[in-house]
Amino acid sequence: MTIQPALRTRNVGKRYRKAWALRNCTLELPPGSVTALVGPNGAGKTTLLRMSVGLLTPTVGSVEVFGESPATNSVQALTRIGFLAQDHPLYRQFTVADLLRFGRSCNVRFDHELAARRLTQLGISLDARAGALSGGQQSQVALALALAKRPNLLVLDEPMSSLDPLARQEFQQTLMSAVADGELTVLFSSHAVHELERVCDHLVVINHGQVMLSGDIDTLLAEHRLLVGPRVKTDPRGSRSVVEVKHSDRHTTMLVRQAAAPIMPGWQANPVGLEELVLAYLRRPVDAEAAESQEETA
Amino acid sequence: MTWMMWRQHRTEALALTIFVGVIAVALFVLGRPMHALFPLGSAHCLVPPLDQACRSALVRLQQDYGYTTTVLILLNFAPYAIGGFLGAPLLARELEAGTWQLVWTQAVPRRRWLAVKIVVLGTVSVLLAAGLSAVIAWYRRPLDLLGGGLDITAFDLTGITPMAYTLFAFALGVVAGAVLRRSLPAAAGALVSFLAVRVTVAGWIRPHFVMPVTRIEAFVPGSGDITDGTSNARDMILDQGFVDADGRRITGLGAVIMEGKAREGGGDPTIYLHDHGIQHWVVYQPMERYWTFQLIETVIFVGLAVLLLALVFRRIRRPAF
Repeated sequence: MTIQPALRTRNVGKRYRKAWALRNCTLELPPGSVTALVGPNGAGKTTLLRMSVGLLTPTVGSVEVFGESPATNSVQALTRIGFLAQDHPLYRQFTVADLLRFGRSCNVRFDHELAARRLTQLGISLDARAGALSGGQQSQVALALALAKRPNLLVLDEPMSSLDPLARQEFQQTLMSAVADGELTVLFSSHAVHELERVCDHLVVINHGQVMLSGDIDTLLAEHRLLVGPRVKTDPRGSRSVVEVKHSDRHTTMLVRQAAAPIMPGWQANPVGLEELVLAYLRRPVDAEAAESQEETA
Repeated sequence: MTWMMWRQHRTEALALTIFVGVIAVALFVLGRPMHALFPLGSAHCLVPPLDQACRSALVRLQQDYGYTTTVLILLNFAPYAIGGFLGAPLLARELEAGTWQLVWTQAVPRRRWLAVKIVVLGTVSVLLAAGLSAVIAWYRRPLDLLGGGLDITAFDLTGITPMAYTLFAFALGVVAGAVLRRSLPAAAGALVSFLAVRVTVAGWIRPHFVMPVTRIEAFVPGSGDITDGTSNARDMILDQGFVDADGRRITGLGAVIMEGKAREGGGDPTIYLHDHGIQHWVVYQPMERYWTFQLIETVIFVGLAVLLLALVFRRIRRPAF
């Protein structure tokens, strides 16, 4: 028996009026994983995240969270997910205590104690109005609310983008200790590539509404090699395994996804860093063929 | 959920209660001396013949309180103020603050959330409108003697129609909020549509709810002056004029010329009209139809409100905000 994935999307596409925000997206997140969703602004990250918590329904394809479509909007499906939207929206007029009471009154398994304790430890007064808190504190309150739901899948949209370095670190600590505590699967979007390695074990790179790369980070890094050799003329599109080719005056550098293959004499194989890998995939042009095949199925 | 509703909307609910309360107190303070003009009750002076006390009270009423009939017209905005104020931010505020993403990912299905909001806030607004309607009905009871039964100075402010208008304004606010996604534009959009529908119904549709009554009456020679309208000042007059001996109706300019001829020489015009076989005709909706009209109007506005709210339910089911 295979383990049921925490999140599974099959050929998911979302179209707003004429334009596709996301297309042909197939993903599987194993339970217990922490996945970073990386891509530039407008790549379709928010669309994918909103679909995975049922705030949006896909135009084509299917989304399943632990085997159930989040779009059913049932109490059971909603109980399983926790969502922290971009800019951590909160009812600004509510005090922190009000927000916790809101969470308790709208959820089946809400751990009020835990949330209150966590926020008190961070020095956030329960009597303070949400609107009067700093950005970092607001994000901590929003995270505490989402975690107190005790979701199986926690989805965060750019959770750290508006935080200063200190708040960012505190936020990461809270998140990581929650992951360590229980059976929590986390999917979060980010465009800060450099700090992902510390936090996550899986990676999904999307651009132009398409998944460019996805998988376990260690496996991905093991699969890819940076080949450096004398300058040659190559068409990077000729081979599927060549991700990117760069030429300098004398040398050609190729990023290839072909770990075990023997290399040509005179060439040198180097491991690739995560940031380099992500950027190489982000620089890749849109796969025109995939886009067309999507058009036909839709 | 209930606690959540209260916490989220208590400011508006309290503000509206104060709004209605202030109007009620003002009407009560203004209305007491007006009611005191009629120690036997104003209904006593409604049917002729009027005794001396009634006649002098009527003069006082006209002089001191006649203007308030006009001022009361302003209260036609109260249903919008109540319903729109609660309805417009219902969805729009969540959408503009981004909190829809917070509240719709709690373990409360969206449609249940919307249903609770609509039931609770809809009930609050209808109750406030009911209170206001009762106070206005009490206040303007003596003013009935001055007329205005089925028009915007009375019909639209009393009975059950204000509640229907309020529910309609509430539904308009909710729909406008869902479409425009921001509270203030939603409130403005709801106001414009509210006024458009209200004016259309009150001005063009209401007079034809039921076939109007047509009455033709001969002039009694020597009665002093041409009597306008009907014997009940509260009837809704749709049209009136003269009808000549051959049964032809004389309206508009023709009626003005006819009246001028009758008044020539400064005598009693009824003698001239009677001698020429001219009669008075009037098309009107009698005041007795008040409750029938109230029912029809209520059904129209409640029906529109239900339709609008059903649209929002359909919309919110498809999670694409």
